[in-house]
Amino acid sequence: MCAARPEQEPAERADPDLDKLLTHVAKGDQAAFEAVYDRLASSAYGLIRKVLRNPSQAEEVTQEVLLEVWRTASRFDPARGSAASWVLTIAHRRAIDRVRAEEAATAREQRAADVPVPVDEVAESVEATMDAERLRRCLAGLTELQRESITLAYYGGYTYAQVAALLETALGTIKTRIRDGLTRLRDCLGVS
Amino acid sequence: MRLRRRDLHALAGAYALDALDDAERDRFERHLRRCQACQNEVRGFAATATALGLAAAAEPPAGLRERVLAAATVTRQLPPVTATPRWRRALGLSRVSTAGTTRTFGMIPKITTGIAAAALAAVVALTVITISTNNSLHAERARSQAIAAVLAAPDAQIVSGPTTAGGVATVVASHRAGQIVFTSSGLRVLPSSQVYELWFLRPGSARPAGLVPVAVRGSTAPVLASGLKAGDSVGVTVEPAGGTSAPTTTPIVVLEVPV
Repeated sequence: MCAARPEQEPAERADPDLDKLLTHVAKGDQAAFEAVYDRLASSAYGLIRKVLRNPSQAEEVTQEVLLEVWRTASRFDPARGSAASWVLTIAHRRAIDRVRAEEAATAREQRAADVPVPVDEVAESVEATMDAERLRRCLAGLTELQRESITLAYYGGYTYAQVAALLETALGTIKTRIRDGLTRLRDCLGVS
Repeated sequence: MRLRRRDLHALAGAYALDALDDAERDRFERHLRRCQACQNEVRGFAATATALGLAAAAEPPAGLRERVLAAATVTRQLPPVTATPRWRRALGLSRVSTAGTTRTFGMIPKITTGIAAAALAAVVALTVITISTNNSLHAERARSQAIAAVLAAPDAQIVSGPTTAGGVATVVASHRAGQIVFTSSGLRVLPSSQVYELWFLRPGSARPAGLVPVAVRGSTAPVLASGLKAGDSVGVTVEPAGGTSAPTTTPIVVLEVPV
């Protein structure tokens, strides 16, 4: 589906303004932090809610994440990745930390009762922006197993071992499908 | 069972999606340090994951913005890193601690992420909430400032650990100030006839350090206690309502405060 050649612009494109804002935040600039909030809070909240499902938990974790962005802004280095990538990496990790902590604390049966995110929902909930449209197309270019493995791991918050169990597929197969799928997705999206 | 090197390399995808368990993630990160190819691969995968993340954007609840901005005003920021291993900086990574294990972090500015940072953020958030909801604004503000002073103390240390009553207890301690701030989340809810009481513990002695307020949505508001001495541990016991002058039960948690 996807051509090997990336399209003109990467979907996860660098945003120099946002990068610069974060360097101001690192120096304690509250106004810059407000601007960063306005640009990234919905991305962080949406991702965290997607993983956690529970809106009030998602709100709590989003607050922790955004405060962490404030606290650790000095650690952001625009040469190493975009501001959005930095913030969403933190957001996803915090969401996953919460998932794992709860798994350890509560009976596994409860979580097993949760239905995993249906793959199509991911594509359908994507807003009709060009980037989202490209992501949808690129996701459609993966094999079903690649797509399911990636979305269950990333949006569903499952470890790859749990994904293997859910899909009744060998551990090693899931491991390589995630990697192959991400490689194909990366090339299709044209991200560096 | 130890993974062979090639198998480790194949974990790059799962790593970028945060889909490894703690042990595997630690092992992969050790490998990552020495593997330039893996670093490049993980960076590309992380950017790919970001595209997936951006697609999930949703409007955050009203009120979150104000709470986050208010909490930021009372939160000290970390200084820039001057000597981070290149592989870590290359990936923009910071350490994720293992939930449920006791860890001691050195100076507060060294805390990066994980349970301790989350607990600290909760302390700050609760402080802000306390300021905005309590009637005796003046007293509360003074208390909140005292708590913020401990959190921002240059020698502040944070210790966190699971309790036998469930959940996690966290202490931020400043020897210089002789004070601690205690907070917790997920402790078993006690009947109204009982209370969690804090103690400064050392062999042969226990000094009362205050009562833990009733949890709100699972977390207890920060408690400030003075009188910390070198060598003290901080313990929590279940006591009759109103507290006692000496512990009558086995502590649900004892956190050693490094000197």
